Amino acid sequence: MHEVIFTFENGGEVRASVQDGLSLLEAARAANVAIDAPCSGNGSCGKCRVKLLKGEVSALPTAHLTAEELADGWRLACGCKVIGDITVMVPDIASAYQSRMKTADLSTGEEVAIFEKLMADVADAGIQFQNSFDCVQLTVDEPTLDDTMPDNERLARALAAQLGVETVDIPFSAMRRLAKVLREGNFTVWCAGRRVGGTFELLDVTAKETPMCAAAIDIGTTTVTAVLTDLKTGKILAKASSGNGQIRFGADVINRIIEQGKPGGRERLQKAIVDETLNPILQALCKSALLSPQRILRLCIAANTTMNHLFVGVDASPVRMEPYIPSFFRWEGLKARDLSLNANGAADVVLAPNIGSYVGGDITAGALASLLWNKEEFTLFIDLGTNGELVFGNSDFMMSCACSAGPAFEGGDISCGMRATDGAIEAVTIDKETMDPHFDIIGEPGQKPVGLCGSGIIDLISELFRCGILSPKGEFIREGKRVQRDEHGTGRYILAFEDESDTGREIALNEVDIDSFIHAKGAIFSAIDTMLRSLDMDVSVLEHVLVAGGIGSGINMKNAVNIGMFPDIPLDKFEYIGNSSLSGSYAMVLSEEAERKTYELAANMTYLELSTYPGYMDAFIAACFLPHTDSSLFPSVQQGV
Amino acid sequence: MAFTPKAQAFSAHINAVTLGTGDNSVVIGGENVLPFYTFDAPIENAPKIGIQISDLGLTQLNAPGFQELYAGCSTMAEMAKKAETVEGVSFLCLVFEGADPNGEDKSVDECVAQLKEVAAATTKPLCIMGCKNVEKDAALFAAMADAIAGKNALFLSAKEENYKQVGASVVMAQNHKMGAESAVDINLAKQLNVVIGQLGVDTQSVLMNIGTAAAGYGFEYVSSTLDRVKAAALAQNDTQLQMPIITPVSTETWNTKEAVVSEEDMPEWGSREERGIEMEITTAVACLAGGSDAVVMAHPKAIASVAKMINALM
Repeated sequence: MHEVIFTFENGGEVRASVQDGLSLLEAARAANVAIDAPCSGNGSCGKCRVKLLKGEVSALPTAHLTAEELADGWRLACGCKVIGDITVMVPDIASAYQSRMKTADLSTGEEVAIFEKLMADVADAGIQFQNSFDCVQLTVDEPTLDDTMPDNERLARALAAQLGVETVDIPFSAMRRLAKVLREGNFTVWCAGRRVGGTFELLDVTAKETPMCAAAIDIGTTTVTAVLTDLKTGKILAKASSGNGQIRFGADVINRIIEQGKPGGRERLQKAIVDETLNPILQALCKSALLSPQRILRLCIAANTTMNHLFVGVDASPVRMEPYIPSFFRWEGLKARDLSLNANGAADVVLAPNIGSYVGGDITAGALASLLWNKEEFTLFIDLGTNGELVFGNSDFMMSCACSAGPAFEGGDISCGMRATDGAIEAVTIDKETMDPHFDIIGEPGQKPVGLCGSGIIDLISELFRCGILSPKGEFIREGKRVQRDEHGTGRYILAFEDESDTGREIALNEVDIDSFIHAKGAIFSAIDTMLRSLDMDVSVLEHVLVAGGIGSGINMKNAVNIGMFPDIPLDKFEYIGNSSLSGSYAMVLSEEAERKTYELAANMTYLELSTYPGYMDAFIAACFLPHTDSSLFPSVQQGV
Repeated sequence: MAFTPKAQAFSAHINAVTLGTGDNSVVIGGENVLPFYTFDAPIENAPKIGIQISDLGLTQLNAPGFQELYAGCSTMAEMAKKAETVEGVSFLCLVFEGADPNGEDKSVDECVAQLKEVAAATTKPLCIMGCKNVEKDAALFAAMADAIAGKNALFLSAKEENYKQVGASVVMAQNHKMGAESAVDINLAKQLNVVIGQLGVDTQSVLMNIGTAAAGYGFEYVSSTLDRVKAAALAQNDTQLQMPIITPVSTETWNTKEAVVSEEDMPEWGSREERGIEMEITTAVACLAGGSDAVVMAHPKAIASVAKMINALM
């Protein structure tokens, strides 16, 4: 065994005892040290760099580090074997994804307004925001030496009489605390539960009046977001988000599925999402709302098919193997206690239904929130993530498909890419004459940039193309101090020189990055094009385009059209609708009718499997060009050469 | 009532590109109908055949028919003189395979000297093919374009990797013609044409080599690409795909198993030379039927057969 000391830029350190020959990345995972490893340790992404401060490791050669960086002590954590006592520094950028959990500030009302508007819109569409939960005040006779009925029967009888139901179910979680609560409240208590037919399912008993809450959760492959809401009024009590703890097992669903197939993998991944991600979030939500987690009486999870499987701990391997049939689409009857969630153990956990291996609950919930099903006009709903998912249709029909855009929208596979967190360049403009950039950075004003996130890449490529610096093939065609080439002739555009960036390394987008991104945007556009063609339609039928997803918050629609990612239709038809998966989950958790509606939507949605669709590959190659090989599809786009 | 066929000429047409100068120049392309559809509209410029000669002499093309044609020739120029007399040949196609850095790695100067000799000895238009190494070809084409300035030759081909150098040195500097080579995909072909156009190259000086295969070796992809390129160019008036198509045939077919396996190894297949000729004819005819405006061939007998077919159909 060797001692490995992980140090952090903020001065903290973690010591771990590591077996000889274990990779540094494995050692970090075992010690709960977060190192970003989008490729799950294959050595292909080069993101898991750490700096060796003391000691020696046995390192595999890698093209991701220059000789200079190697001499400086930089190593890829996945390619190093621990062979002695060492001290390594884990740079901020590698662990930045875990981005300390953020609790949203609800005081400005912006966050709240999104949900209030949704509630109003959904209600307008005819879905009642009602549920069968009830919280009633109940006074029971005090037991005496003569009245010896036990607490549970006493409560059940009184409750049945007051509510006019036949039976009352008291779950274990309520039973455990019943004696204490009854006496604390001097036998006047508040009973929260739900009516199901002639039965009242008691969930929680309190001595004081306390709001009943529900948690709506969106489990993204990258980010997990949740809101705590009042079950009766729909008021948002708290909101929080954090990175998905599974990230250290791989950036995309495929790598996670591979990881969960290893011995003990399912348990590791479930632990990462439940214990390390969801429970801390639920804890933070309750703390912020000054409530006990026992008051969370209902939860709804919207997640893609793989995340759903990994969350409940069901084998997800079939998701990635032909014929791509997952273990479940829809699953009712799950309780919080089945999953050890930090909530009332008897609370129902509602899962937004999946409709295919690559179109999951995040999309069905999103489709509900998008209200696409209530529009007469043809509407396209796009959820941009590691997988791009589309739903097209109106009140008469809906069709969905998924395309693999890869991690480029979230900064993966891009040399200077990063997720949209502090220090990320999110918007770029370029001066056509001088070729100098001007950019906006997420976070505190005045800080130096760390990298480029998805919306920044869209802007940058669009601007490079507009200024005639980039050819439609994604090659640099102008020279200048900002356009440089490496020894192989690969060009790059330098956004920030070494002394201008926060990391001391230059921030540049190279031709390989641009090629990856062009493939990602090509996948999205060709999916739109192919799906419409399969219905014998074209983009001119689109009346609304609703764009959702975490990447989208800073997205410039005009630039996204300029690079041929979105169809060239009037910009006023585009609308960014934020995290629709979370909104849908919110509607489902509050309204049983919304929940039923989502099941209905899922059942009525046609799934188009693009990989077997003739012509998709052709459409994809045609779309891997700026803006498109068929320039007549993009009449408004002109390259400014 | 008698049946009156309706002529279906398109309003769009393929660009007409002239190679060579003076009386010996040839025009490739220019049609506004599908291949050989002379009943829809006259085809002014019949498809053309170029004859392939290697700077290395009779390398793989050493069957008796070639030996006979090039008997007594010791230089590329002497071979070229013989080649241009072959019936049905409209232009010469000089392949500088010896320049390949992984092969003989002949210097650019050496190749240029050979080319100048050929140019001085012959009258037919010249088409120059490189060694398929993108960097060497770019250097070779630049020097050759200068060496035979004014000859209005065709350089085959520029690819995605070297179109900038080739376009600038061959067309923009010396007004020669260039081929744009892509790998059997209509979108890739169009993308290359677009970027070549954006470079400032007059697209009227560009021919396309959309990629090729010998018949039986994945030719269905070539066939479908040819069909779709022609349909886009004529029916949809896609100006980025209206360049005439030239397809090298003999460079593929004489490397196939049918043309290579000896008679001792495969006696039941019959004469090796006949097999090679048939592969060449079959592939060339299929390319022409698909929409090639010119083909590059090698064997005099194969050329004679294909020329006869073209004449009969025109």
